[in-house]
Amino acid sequence: MSDGLTRREVLIRVARGTVLVGFGSTAGFLIEKADGQVVWQVDASRCANSRLGEAGAEVCNLCTTECVVQQSAVRAVNNFRECGRCSICPAYFNIKSAVDEKGLPSEKACPRDAIERRAIGLVDPADPANNFYEYTIDEEKCDGCGICVRGCREPLGLGSIVLKVRHDRCVGCNRCAISIACPKTALARTPVTAALEPTLARQAAR
Amino acid sequence: MTSAVPTRHLLLVAAAFVLLAFLAPNGVLAQAQQYERPVEVAPQQETIGGGYVTPDVQRPRAREYWLEILDVVLLAVAMGFAVWLVLSRRNRKWALTLTVACLGYFGFYRQGCICPIGSIQNVALSIADPGYKIPMVVTAVFFMPLVVALFFGRAFCGGVCPLGAMQELVILKPVQVPRKLDDALGLLKYGYLGVAILLAVQPAIARDFVICRFDPFVSFFRREGFAHMMFIGAGFLVLGTVVGRPYCRYLCPYGGLLSWCSRLAKRGVTITPHKELDCGLCANACPYGAIEKNRAVRKECLYCARCYASCPCETNPQAAV
Repeated sequence: MSDGLTRREVLIRVARGTVLVGFGSTAGFLIEKADGQVVWQVDASRCANSRLGEAGAEVCNLCTTECVVQQSAVRAVNNFRECGRCSICPAYFNIKSAVDEKGLPSEKACPRDAIERRAIGLVDPADPANNFYEYTIDEEKCDGCGICVRGCREPLGLGSIVLKVRHDRCVGCNRCAISIACPKTALARTPVTAALEPTLARQAAR
Repeated sequence: MTSAVPTRHLLLVAAAFVLLAFLAPNGVLAQAQQYERPVEVAPQQETIGGGYVTPDVQRPRAREYWLEILDVVLLAVAMGFAVWLVLSRRNRKWALTLTVACLGYFGFYRQGCICPIGSIQNVALSIADPGYKIPMVVTAVFFMPLVVALFFGRAFCGGVCPLGAMQELVILKPVQVPRKLDDALGLLKYGYLGVAILLAVQPAIARDFVICRFDPFVSFFRREGFAHMMFIGAGFLVLGTVVGRPYCRYLCPYGGLLSWCSRLAKRGVTITPHKELDCGLCANACPYGAIEKNRAVRKECLYCARCYASCPCETNPQAAV
């Protein structure tokens, strides 16, 4: 060879160049396809706990049991704009429990007591059944068991409570363990802008 | 006596009813009091009145995007440092320091989840499935170590990879695995690579990311996980005290890709030929069987710089001359 390279060195250079071009074009293809930052999120329109007309009485708690972090990264979120603010909230109370002296069910639905109930607006102490109530879910207590989501599901509730992934807790597994187990494939990598929006079981199901 | 019989019958029937009531599932009783939704539409703040303001929905913030970019930058910087420390400075101590630092950041802080090994599956799936998108960060994390390997060999393995670092730190008394056995076991990783890609590109229902599922050390990084994976991880660490980095050499699928790329490398760890002093101390010091006939084998070399640390020419240049 005139430039002092052996045949072997030339071959290696050519091979390296070819591989580099291959890497470049594949990376270009993947980046072209990419949608910016994506995160795992629950699609409420697919979730068995929030989907209108979903058969089966059992609450699906796979979000709690399958997540790789100790207290699941999934928890319930109440979308206040869609909340009916019912006096007897089917997500807050166990509506099958016996009625106490105040006319309210005696048991709460949440096993972790993560929902706070407070009267809002113009409160009429004489007629508590006619007041509006705000239900706030304590993120730290909730582990996404889905009982309240199931309670709020239409037609009993308005479907304002849905399950959502908490991104501060989610470690972003390559393949989310919940998504493997989810029978409705409700967990998907979602563009971050869409993932932050409050999804509605009702709207999405339409 | 005759009048007592119907009374007894009545009592029995009543008892049976009570018993049935107790035995019946909750649902049967509950159906008696029907719950009806009191509202059809959600009342808004104007309806509620009393100065009530509808609170904003809790929005789970994703990790800041610049932090994800920072991960990629740190990966690049760490690989650059690894190349510089091992190839130019030939300094084992600093290379080891870098490894420990990367174990801390990529392993225990980022919990092992900025990981080129697992990204093989995402990349394969994204190429195969038009609907599956992967973040740009994953693309970058997958290709950067491969490109570095094309020029400098497996700097990622030695300098950055937290899985490698775990095993690097437990090596106590490595045995030299017989060459033939070493080569045969080394083929396992290509089989694993093939299986992992095959399972990753399946349709969603049958898809499985085995590399992540059987990641031996991620449960240590997260300090929680399945007991059997902790057990396997501990097994690799125990084995790693006598066999240098068993996962990296025999099972790591990404190691297979890096190994292919590093065959084409421009530079790599080299053992300089020396006429008088061809002592072979380096070959004894290498726990990975990467020095053959006193020359470094690039596809096996894991950038630990033990050979330089053991070399009389390196540690005491005066004496060697």
